[in-house]
Formats: sequence, C-alpha cells, structure tokens
Amino acid sequence: MPVENKDYKSISKTRYFFDWKEERKEEVFKVVLKGQNDILGLVSIERIPTEWRVHIRLLTVSKEHVGNGKVFENIAGNLIAYAAKIAVADFGALACVSLRPKSSIAQHYIKKYNMNVTGTTLSIEVPEIVDLINQYDHD
Amino acid sequence: MTKKQNLINDESEYGVDSRYKTSKEREHDAVNLMQARLERMKNLTKEQILRAKLLQLTLKMESYLKDPVYDHQNHFADFLQTYIDAIYSKRSEFAKDINVTPVFLSQVINSHREPKEEFILKLMIHSEKVFKHVGSFQKKTWLQIYFHEKLCDTMASQDTWKPEIDKQVTFTASIVK
Repeated sequence: MPVENKDYKSISKTRYFFDWKEERKEEVFKVVLKGQNDILGLVSIERIPTEWRVHIRLLTVSKEHVGNGKVFENIAGNLIAYAAKIAVADFGALACVSLRPKSSIAQHYIKKYNMNVTGTTLSIEVPEIVDLINQYDHD
Repeated sequence: MTKKQNLINDESEYGVDSRYKTSKEREHDAVNLMQARLERMKNLTKEQILRAKLLQLTLKMESYLKDPVYDHQNHFADFLQTYIDAIYSKRSEFAKDINVTPVFLSQVINSHREPKEEFILKLMIHSEKVFKHVGSFQKKTWLQIYFHEKLCDTMASQDTWKPEIDKQVTFTASIVK
C-alpha cells in the first residue's frame, strides 16, 4: 500500500532505522496486517523505464520484527516482492529489481532471494523474479 | 547458526540503503547492470518469457479491477488481445482452439461485437489450463473484467443515458415525495 502523508507522523527513525521523511517525494510503500494500521515494513522505489528497472532506494523492517524476538517472518521478502510486482506490471519479461546492500550482508540477499550480482549491485530478473512474486506475494 | 551469521541476518533484515550518492555512481551502475542483464536475457527460454508476460497481464487485470478507470478504452478487448498474442503466433489458432470463427474473434478484439457469455466461459477454461503451469490466476477474472467495464462505462456515461431514462421512470403511488 502507498504511504500517505499522515503516516509519516508515526514513522520514526528509532523504529524504522532511517529518516523516511527524506523519502516523501519518492514512491514509498508500506506493509501492514489486513485491517490494521501498524506499519511492519517500508520500501521506497524509483522506476527507471529507460532501463526497464525498479530500483529499491530504501527498505526497512520495523524494529520488533528484526532478530530473535521478531513476531513476523518474511516482511523484507514481501516488500521486495511488491517492488517486483511493479517491475513486472510495467516492464513484463524485461523487468528487473535492483538494490545495493552493504557487502557484509549481500550474500544473505543473494542466497535468500536468488539475486544476480553485478559489481556491488544485486538484481533479480526473469525467471527468478516470477518465482519471487509467486513465493512472497500474499495480499 | 553462529553469532556472526545471526548478526548478518539481523542486519540484513533491518534494511538496505541503496540510494545513489552521485550521478556518476548511478550511470556506472546503469551501464554495467544493463550489459549483464542483456547477456542473461539471451539465455531466457520461450516458456520463461511467456510466464513473465502472463504474470504481467494478471497484474494489470488485478490493478484495473482495484482502481476503476473511466475512459473510452475497451479494456476487456485489450486484455484479450494481450493474452492471445502472448501465447499464439496467429490469432486464428486461438479461435480454432476455443471453437469460434476467426471473424467473430476479430470482431470481439476490435470492439465491433460484444463477446457472448459462451465465449467468456471458453476463455475462462482456456486460461485455467494455461495458467496451471504459470502461477495463480482466477478464471473468474475475465468475467469480472467484462462486468467491471460495463459498470464503469455505464456510470461514466450517465449524462448521455440518464435524462431520457429519467423521463420513463415515474411513481404512481406517493413513494417518493
């Protein structure tokens, strides 16, 4: 779901790790439980039609869903799958989602989401992007 | 799992900041990534491309159902055309597969004729079989698109039909004051 202006009041750096207000002018989406308002995770993206690509600018999972005490699994996976849906809807078989995690955690994304590596950039394309959507996309 | 692995998992879960700091960085990324992708695209099979095209169609149909569009475009016909062109090299082959004439199919695609209910039912069965190996697709989506479009068109053209219809609706009893 798209983040609305009123949401920014409850999106703090303490709970969501980054200053999300900096992303106000970008396309920002949130994941929430059905019928609830509490934001479990956020992603901001940039559509790059000339490259048939959606670039993930910023992605986060709320503090209580990180680490051993986390309540829900796969929030990051759902957010990446959401960006993937936008890419496939816009660019079809040419679709690509990219992101650039720190090198220390890149392996985690490569393994978990079956991503390709180009320099410091990770990307997911057809056919893996279709599998990712089918695996993680639960409305 | 070791402490180090736990730490990496936690760090990766909390998020990623992938914002480009400079335009040079962005351009460099664009060129290298495109090169690598074009190489990988050469290895795509027809089936993988078809799966992606059909998923794209599904997403567009779902999006249309979620957000009503009031325009003069014929969405049912457009989706149908995309569906057929993704699977067949000749539309007449699809017509043969669902036992309609190529002329009838062409008229539906070009919005010169309304699809009969039987046509939509055949399309639903066809899609069910095609999507079986592709991913989730609810066959009722075709019917929903058809009626959703009717609804949108009717509501959008009230100025045209309402004045005349209004005259024909009267109340003999004083139900409405």
